[in-house]
Amino acid sequence: MLDFTFTEEQEMIRESVREFAQKKIAPIALEMEKTRQIPEDIIKGMADLGLIAPTVSPEYGGQGFDAVTAGIIAEELARADVTGSIPVFYLVQASWGHIFDKYGTEEAKREVLPNVTKGKWFLGIATTESDAGSDVAGTRTTIRKEGDHYVVNGEKMYISGVREAYTRGGGHITIAKQNPELGTRGMTLFYLPLQSKGIIPTYVDDLGREGISTGGFTIDNVVIPKHYIIGEENRGFYIVHEGYEYARGLISVICAGAGLQSLERGKKYLKERKAFGQPLAKFEALQFRLAEHYTKLSFLRLGAYWALWTYDQEAKGKATRFEVSKAIAMAKMFASEWSNAAIDEVMQWQGAFGYTRECPDQAAWRAIRSFAWAEGSKEIMRVIVSRELLGKEYISYK
Amino acid sequence: MSDYKGILVVGEIYDGKIRPVTFQLVSKARELADTLNTTLSVVLLGHNIGDMAREPIYYGADKVYVMDDQIFEPYVAEVYSRALTKFIGNLKPEIVLIPATHTGREYGPRISAALETGMTADCTDLVIKNGRFVQVRPAYGGNIMGEIITPNHRPQISTVRPNVFKTREPDRSRTGEIVQVKPEFDSMKVRTFIKEIVKTTVTGAKKLDEAKIIVSGGRGVGSKEGFEKLRELADLLGGAVGASRVAVDLGWMPKSAQVGQSGITVQPDLYIACGISGTIQHIVGMKDSKVIVAINKDPNAPIFNIADYGIVGDLHEVIPIFIEEIKKIKKK
Amino acid sequence: MNILVLVKQVPDTSDVKFDERGVMIREGVQSILNVFDQFALEEALRLRQKYGGEVSVMTLAPEQAKTAVQKCLALGADKAYHISDKAFGGSDTLATSYALSLAIRKAGNFDLIMAGNQATDGDTGHIGPQVAEWLGIPHVSYVEQVLSIENGRATVKSILEDGYRIVDVELPALFACLPPTNFEYTNPSMSGIIKAKSKPYTWWKADDIDGDKSKFGLNGSPTRVLKMYPPPKRSRGTVFTGDYHDAVKKIIEALMEKKVIE
Ligand SMILES: Cc1cc2nc3c(=O)[nH]c(=O)nc-3n(C[C@H](O)[C@H](O)[C@H](O)COP(=O)(O)OP(=O)(O)OC[C@H]3O[C@@H](n4cnc5c(N)ncnc54)[C@H](O)[C@@H]3O)c2cc1C
Ligand SMILES: Cc1cc2nc3c(=O)[nH]c(=O)nc-3n(C[C@H](O)[C@H](O)[C@H](O)COP(=O)(O)OP(=O)(O)OC[C@H]3O[C@@H](n4cnc5c(N)ncnc54)[C@H](O)[C@@H]3O)c2cc1C
Ligand SMILES: Cc1cc2nc3c(=O)[nH]c(=O)nc-3n(C[C@H](O)[C@H](O)[C@H](O)COP(=O)(O)OP(=O)(O)OC[C@H]3O[C@@H](n4cnc5c(N)ncnc54)[C@H](O)[C@@H]3O)c2cc1C
Repeated sequence: MLDFTFTEEQEMIRESVREFAQKKIAPIALEMEKTRQIPEDIIKGMADLGLIAPTVSPEYGGQGFDAVTAGIIAEELARADVTGSIPVFYLVQASWGHIFDKYGTEEAKREVLPNVTKGKWFLGIATTESDAGSDVAGTRTTIRKEGDHYVVNGEKMYISGVREAYTRGGGHITIAKQNPELGTRGMTLFYLPLQSKGIIPTYVDDLGREGISTGGFTIDNVVIPKHYIIGEENRGFYIVHEGYEYARGLISVICAGAGLQSLERGKKYLKERKAFGQPLAKFEALQFRLAEHYTKLSFLRLGAYWALWTYDQEAKGKATRFEVSKAIAMAKMFASEWSNAAIDEVMQWQGAFGYTRECPDQAAWRAIRSFAWAEGSKEIMRVIVSRELLGKEYISYK
Repeated sequence: MSDYKGILVVGEIYDGKIRPVTFQLVSKARELADTLNTTLSVVLLGHNIGDMAREPIYYGADKVYVMDDQIFEPYVAEVYSRALTKFIGNLKPEIVLIPATHTGREYGPRISAALETGMTADCTDLVIKNGRFVQVRPAYGGNIMGEIITPNHRPQISTVRPNVFKTREPDRSRTGEIVQVKPEFDSMKVRTFIKEIVKTTVTGAKKLDEAKIIVSGGRGVGSKEGFEKLRELADLLGGAVGASRVAVDLGWMPKSAQVGQSGITVQPDLYIACGISGTIQHIVGMKDSKVIVAINKDPNAPIFNIADYGIVGDLHEVIPIFIEEIKKIKKK
Repeated sequence: MNILVLVKQVPDTSDVKFDERGVMIREGVQSILNVFDQFALEEALRLRQKYGGEVSVMTLAPEQAKTAVQKCLALGADKAYHISDKAFGGSDTLATSYALSLAIRKAGNFDLIMAGNQATDGDTGHIGPQVAEWLGIPHVSYVEQVLSIENGRATVKSILEDGYRIVDVELPALFACLPPTNFEYTNPSMSGIIKAKSKPYTWWKADDIDGDKSKFGLNGSPTRVLKMYPPPKRSRGTVFTGDYHDAVKKIIEALMEKKVIE
């Protein structure tokens, strides 16, 4: 059985999201470069449609969507928002909402998830620190149990949605060391509300995705209740990778969608712009570039949906953890690079206009570039695939 | 089928007057009647119609049937369609032309269903080809034209778009017959009741569909105030002011000024499009204007593809020059 | 309040193109729910919210129109009737409205039938008034809003070229609806799309509706489309790019020459 079609329902979902995204988001996307926030009516519109963390179960306000369906929404948002802000807002909450739903306690889910799906709160992920990114085991933040609650100390850096959670409410699924001597087996994942006493946010002025903040925060003796623990104590390292995989799958679709959409703009431009007495589209040198990028991104798109599908197969017992990790890493390995290359080409076609702030593709280029690091760098994707191919014993580091 | 003879135009009385579209239809129907060598009648429904009944004769009608009854004021669809169904059923014309106004397009289709005959909507041309009555109409939002025939059913009914046919010069010496008809109804039960009629067109402003010159504005006009300049030019030329849908949506002009697919169709001698890009939905409403002038700052605006004359430039600078130049000429 | 909404799937006319022979280029053209019908449906859903009851939708169309009907269910309609049979092929408006009126009779007693004022493809605006005539009920076209429903009567706002009328009609009645220009269409929500799947969806063939079969389809259609062709094009005229004064003068001269201004 090999069938590349989406279900009737998924097609309807795509159509509805596309209409919404093209009508409401596309026209104002570039404005976010200046306003530096996602307009409130768009967040409300997304919540009304059920687009915020749709991976969460219906009893907590979500739609119970699987990864492929979540991917369809991600693609349409990426095709509409050239700044990439809304796709990030979406993908982080869809992925980590799913993890919260799967591993969070009943009490925490009732408290947090409905506020997330309604668009009131923001739910993010915080693993990276100033001194530890790819190497999660290098985490310095600690969590310790004190009676019926926990106390957290440390800092997190390069985290998406800090301002959103700090001002709107909500927080980040955070990793910290509970038993440092146990290494990766001594790390715990928990929900950290950013409005907790003892959190001080900072912000970084990064290159793109202006509508959503990137920042960090210091954690000074922050007290969290027991029911905020996500999954079991000391299992954090494993659970966090599951979330990363979800996010990486969505990122891959986003890269494909944003790149293909940029090529659509480019195609139109090639047909309209004339040089040397004919439309640019008549020059074979440019035609071939279009054909190549389109082909690459179409394969990326297929690969990304396949990876998300593999993720869904695991839930049905039809794929192993390793198969999922590998599929997802393969999908993300070239995602930002290929997408950036295509967008770069489209900027090139547009001549000097391509180098102005008015050109939507420059915003897309800057946004997509972030995905070469975010939620796992492209090098780490190679590490993962190599590990799956050769076996753990060939990992080059300890 | 051969029992059916003659052409019937359903006239429309609106605000106590015969609507101009009636005379346009009569003028066109006269041509068709001459080609087919048949008679042309008009039927008028209303109350206190009086001498108005003569007017269609001046434009070419041979006979005017008058159904004068209180029940026709104000207009409601079920009354008109019932009265006309009876009347047409008795008269047996081969062709019936109904104005494609909001009212005509409301009661008209009911008649075709009641008589179980064919009806063609919103025609922009009517021709006789090999003795056959061919009705031409746009479909798919103006992207395509269709030629429709009703081969085996009579009467052949069409609604015809206002302003696509020119009115003939009225000949006041022309004579014809005026026949009073007592309206007949299968049922007298009227279930529709008009509570209120509200006019939103600015009083004093020229009616768009009757204007010979239209100065029309779109998003490029920039503001409600911007339209004042357009009005000044229109007044100077004795014309009316129109608008694109965007200008209406933005609240700069009333809905009644909207030209295009979801507005009204106009066919003036001169249409000056200012700051209108020229999308298909706008163009279908004005492309049959005799002369089109476009002012747009974008040299690639599609409006230039259909304009006879275009100026690439800022309308805020160009319009005052137009006003100034027209004034100069008027002085002379 | 038992409301039926008549809906039609249409090609998106904003990207429809025809070749020189008048054949539609289907490539890349999306099929959508006629926007007038979506407005009618949203108005019906609003009435349901206010007065209670049920909203059904009905289409007479080939099977593929199901996506448009499904969208109606996703937007909140309670159930659907889809009448589909080769026998209806080639129907003009008379044949379409006749078959629809039979199906409506069979589907039940409706207090209110809502339709679009026109479908953006055929664009005739006939179906609403004709269905009303076949059913022997009053109707109002160009309805922008149903203002109220009381004691078996509805009050609606109907748009005129130069204003509007407030019309009071005895129910059952049919309203052919026209969206206000700034109407914001709703997109089906994710949960609406999921719920749509389990809503009642009734398929009928020609044999399932009682009536005179000779009035169905092409045979029952008095009108014929003789031919189709792209509208005649106006050609590009003179476009001035230089000095405004000079351009205006030249244009005014030309206009006077053509006697369009005096
Ligand atoms: C815009 C943006 C938003 C982000 N949002 C979040 C967020 O919300 N939450 C969060 O926790 N983090 C977030 N991150 C951080 C992101 O996950 C990290 O940047 C990423 O994991 C890499 O870590 P690092 O930056 O510390 O780089 P390092 O780990 O220090 O790596 C530096 C370089 O070395 C390479 N490298 C590292 N190890 C290897 C190896 N074994 N083999 C080969 N190459 C290697 C890396 O690929 C990289 O190129 C975000 C990053 C960006 C840019
Ligand atoms: C079902 C449907 C029905 C529709 N019905 C209609 C209808 O009936 N009528 C209608 O008009 N539209 C209709 N539309 C909308 C139509 O598609 C267009 O959106 C609309 O016509 C565009 O209006 P516009 O030309 O004013 O605005 P735009 O397309 O935004 O164009 C504005 C133009 O102004 C120019 N401009 C800007 N500033 C200046 C300046 N200072 N000087 C000179 N030029 C300037 C710009 O270059 C541009 O070309 C319909 C659409 C749909 C989908
Ligand atoms: C170029 C062309 C021109 C044509 N001209 C004519 C003509 O002049 N006269 C004629 O009789 N036929 C004509 N037809 C045939 C006509 O288009 C079809 O009969 C069509 O199915 C119905 O007409 P419409 O699209 O105009 O609908 P409209 O009458 O404009 O539709 C109004 C409303 O009725 C409802 N409705 C319409 N169709 C259906 C349906 N199938 N199921 C459920 N609800 C529906 C919807 O609510 C819709 O909004 C023409 C066809 C073509 C291709």
